[in-house]
Amino acid sequence: MDGHSPKLASIPASDSTVWADASPLLQAACTGLRDGELIHGDNFNLFAAMSALEIMDPKMDSGIVCTYYSIDEAIENGAAPIPISLDSTIDVQRTIDIMDHLLACEAAWHKGHSLAQTVFSCIYLLRLDRTAPHALLHSYCRVIRATCKAVVSVVSDARAHEEEDLFTMTYGLPLNGDGDDKCLSMLNAVEETISRQLRACKAASSKRRLPEVPILMQIWSHYSPTPIWKKDFAKLCCAVYAFHFFHVLACMKRPQGRGLESARKHIASCMTELESILKSADFIRSCFGESYEGDIDDKTTASGREPIGFDAMLNSRLSAPTPPRAIKILSWKKAVQYFVKLLHDLDVICSYPLDPHLESLLRFVVQFQISQPDLVARSHLQLLLVQDGKLYGRDPFFAVITKAAALPEATKNHDIQKNESILQLGMLVMNLLKILCTNAAWQRRKHGKFLQDWRVIYVQLELAFRNEFGEVSSSSNDENICMKIFQHILLWVEEKTYWIAFRFLILGFELELYSTSEYCMVYWYLYAVLTKLAEKTHLKIAVSYDIAKRKGKKKKDSPKDLARESRIPPAVLFLQCYICLAEGLTMILAALRNEISVFQSPGPFNTEQEKFVQHFELLQRACIPDHVSYPSYKESTTHACFSTLAMYNYFKDAQRIAKEVKSSFSNDPDRLAELRKLEQVAEHNSVAQNLICRLGALDPSLKVSFELSHHPFFATVVVKRS
Amino acid sequence: MEAMPEEKAEFEEAEIKYVSYGGEHHLPLIMNLVDQELSEPYSIFTYRYFVYLWPQLSFLAFHKGKCVGTVVCKMGEHRNTFRGYIAMLVVIKPYRGRGIATELVTRSIRMMMESGCEEVTLEAEVTNKGALALYGRLGFIRAKRLFHYYLNGVDAFRLKLLFPPPRQELSPSLDT
Repeated sequence: MDGHSPKLASIPASDSTVWADASPLLQAACTGLRDGELIHGDNFNLFAAMSALEIMDPKMDSGIVCTYYSIDEAIENGAAPIPISLDSTIDVQRTIDIMDHLLACEAAWHKGHSLAQTVFSCIYLLRLDRTAPHALLHSYCRVIRATCKAVVSVVSDARAHEEEDLFTMTYGLPLNGDGDDKCLSMLNAVEETISRQLRACKAASSKRRLPEVPILMQIWSHYSPTPIWKKDFAKLCCAVYAFHFFHVLACMKRPQGRGLESARKHIASCMTELESILKSADFIRSCFGESYEGDIDDKTTASGREPIGFDAMLNSRLSAPTPPRAIKILSWKKAVQYFVKLLHDLDVICSYPLDPHLESLLRFVVQFQISQPDLVARSHLQLLLVQDGKLYGRDPFFAVITKAAALPEATKNHDIQKNESILQLGMLVMNLLKILCTNAAWQRRKHGKFLQDWRVIYVQLELAFRNEFGEVSSSSNDENICMKIFQHILLWVEEKTYWIAFRFLILGFELELYSTSEYCMVYWYLYAVLTKLAEKTHLKIAVSYDIAKRKGKKKKDSPKDLARESRIPPAVLFLQCYICLAEGLTMILAALRNEISVFQSPGPFNTEQEKFVQHFELLQRACIPDHVSYPSYKESTTHACFSTLAMYNYFKDAQRIAKEVKSSFSNDPDRLAELRKLEQVAEHNSVAQNLICRLGALDPSLKVSFELSHHPFFATVVVKRS
Repeated sequence: MEAMPEEKAEFEEAEIKYVSYGGEHHLPLIMNLVDQELSEPYSIFTYRYFVYLWPQLSFLAFHKGKCVGTVVCKMGEHRNTFRGYIAMLVVIKPYRGRGIATELVTRSIRMMMESGCEEVTLEAEVTNKGALALYGRLGFIRAKRLFHYYLNGVDAFRLKLLFPPPRQELSPSLDT
C-alpha cells in the first residue's frame, strides 16, 4: 500500500457513523484465501460468483488500464484542446477530422453500439460549454447532441429496439442542452450565405467548364468575396448536412404526418451535402498531403488522420454502462453509405400517401422491409403508422377494420365497437403493425406468439355472434347490420390469421432457420396454410363484391357481371401460384427422399417428428390449420416417388397461372417483379423435375440442391453432375 | 510469402480417450483449452460454476496424455422444461475434423437424456458453419435467430434438440 492517506469521500460521517480504514481487513481476507478458494454464503453461491465478475470492465477489473481516469484529467492533459490550433490551417484540418469522426461514430451507434462508446467518446461533446470560443465546432456539437436526443426519443417511443437495448442507454451522458435549437439558426445563416453566393455564381459560371475539381468548389473559391479556403467548403458541408439532418427528424416527428413533405426537402438537401462531402474527400487528402498507414478506406476520417479529442475508454468508468470490450467505429466511407441508405429509407417513408386501406399498407410495409432498413428508419415508420392509438394518429382502428372487412362506410360509427372482443381486435391490429416494423428475427417470434391471440379472438367473436344471432329467425334492421358486421369481421380475422401464419413460415427462409432436410415439411405446411389463406381471401373478396352489387341495386346481372363473378380474383390466383410451387417442391423433396435417401438426417437422439413438432409448435397450438399433424404430413409424402412425380407437374401449373395473372397487376411493379421471379422458379424447377424423373434413380452421380437464388422463399432445384 | 498450412495431427480415432470431469486436476486443462481457442474471456468462477454443479456433463478428450478437446455443460429447470445447455465446446486446431467434438457433445447429450432432460439448447454464431453442421447432424434445429447477439454485431442461432417422449422407442420405421 502506498503512503498516502485515503481521500475522504464526499459522503460525510454523521453522529452514528464514522469512517474507518478497511485496508487491514481486506489484507487479512486476501491472505486468508488461497488461489481457487471461494467464500460460501447464503446469498453468495457459485452462480453469484460467476455473475459478479465482468472481465475487462474497468469498474471491477482493476487490471484494465485507461489512459485517463476522468474527463477532467483528459482535458488537463490536452486531449481536447480549445483552441484546437493557433495555426488556422491546422485548426480547419482538425475540425474537419472531428466532424468526420463524429459522423462515423453516429453511424456506429445506429448500427447497434452504445452511445457512450461512440458519439460520446468525444471529449468536446462531454464538456460542450468549453467549445464556445470555437463557433463552428460549438454549433456542430450542439446539433449532434440535439440529433442524438431526437433519435433516442424516437427509438424509445417506438419501442422497436427489441434486442438492441444498448441503443437507448443514455444515463450519465449529457444529452440535454437548453437552446440547442437556437444555435441551429447560426448554421442556417451559414447555409443561406452559401446558397446566395452559389446562385450568383451559377449564372456567371455556366459558360466555363473546369474539369476534375468539383464545380461547386471552384465557384466558391473563385467568386467568394472573402478569401475562404477550399477546405472551409468541406467543413461547411458537414455542418450544413448536420443541420438538415436534424430538421429531417424534427419534421418527421410532427403528428399525423404533417411534416412529411418538409422532411423530404431536408432529406434532399442532406443528400446534396453528403454528395459534396464525398467529392471533397479526395481533394482534402491530396491537399493536406499526409501519409498514413493502412488502407484509407478503413479510416474514420476523410483525411485518413486520427482525430483529436476522442477517448472511448473514458465512459467505461462513468455511470453509463458500456460493454467491456473495444468496438470498431465504422469507417468514414461506410458511415456516409449508411446515412445515404438511411436517408433513402426515410424518404420512402415520407413519400407514403397514408393510405387508409389496411391491405395496401400491409403490402407497403412488407415491401419496405425487403431492403432491410435499420432501426432508426423502422422506428420512424412505426411512429408514423401508430400514434395515439390510431392509424396515422388519425383513423380509429375500428374504422380501419370495417373498411378492410368491406363493410359500408357508416359501420365505423356503430356501437358494436364498444364490444370487448372488438376492442381487443383493434389492439391486435395495432400490435400487428408495430410488429411488422421490427427486425425480421424479432418479427417472426412475435408473429408466432400472437397467433394464439388471433385464434382466441376469432373464437370469442364467433361465440358472441352465436349468442346474439344463434336462434334468431326474423330480425330487426339493426340486428341485420350487427350480423353482417360480425360475419364480415369473422371472415376478415380468419384471413388475417392465415396471413400471419404465412409470414411466420416464410420469414424462416429469410432468417435461414431451415436446413434442406427440413424443406419438405416446411413446404408441406406452407401449402396447407396457403390453401386456407386462398380460401378465406376468395370468400372475403366474394362478400365484398356482393356488397358492391347490392349497392348498385342491380336487379338483373349483365353477362359481364356474371363473368366477373365466376372469374377467380387476381389476388387469389397469385396465391394459387404460390400453392402450386409449394406443392411441387414438397413432392419433389419427398420423392428424392423416398427414392434415393437424400435430404434426410436421422440423428442419434431424435426423429423427424421431433423436428416437425419444434418447427410448427406455435402453429399447432393455435390449430392453424385444423387437422394438420405429423401423421398427416407423413401420409401425404410417404408414397411420393419418381413415377408419381412424372404424372403431374405442379410447376407447369404455376408457370401458367403466373403468366395469366400478369395483366391484372400491370399497375403494380412490385407484384409484377415477383411474378417474374415466380415464373423463373417454376421454369427451372419444371425442367429439373423432368430430368430427375428420367435419370434420378439410375444415375448416382446426379447431385440435387435447393437454392434460394431466384425467389426469397421458393427454392430453385439445381441438378448437377458431381 | 505463403502462409504455412495448419499442421494436422496424425492419429487413429481409437487413440483418443474420453473422460468425464474427474476433479480439480482437470480444471486447468479445461481452462487452458478454452482460453486458447475461444474468444470469450471467462473467470475461474465461471468454470467452477459449471464443473462443480454438473461434473457429469463435462468431458475431456486426451491423445497420448495431452488434452485436445473439452465440452462444458449444465442443465436445469427453465420455464417448466428440464433443459440441458451446452456452454463451451473446444477441440484444438490440429485435431479438428475427425469427430472428436461430435463424440464429446454426444456423450454429454446422452448424459442429459438419461438425467431426464426434455431438450438441449445452445447458441452459435450464424457464421460458424462447422458448429451448425455438427449440431445439425445430431438433430438440433435452428429454433430462433437472435439479432446482433454477439457484441461484434454477428447474429446467433438458438439451436434446440427435442428428445422424443420417454416411453417411445426410437424406431427407424417411421421414416421410411
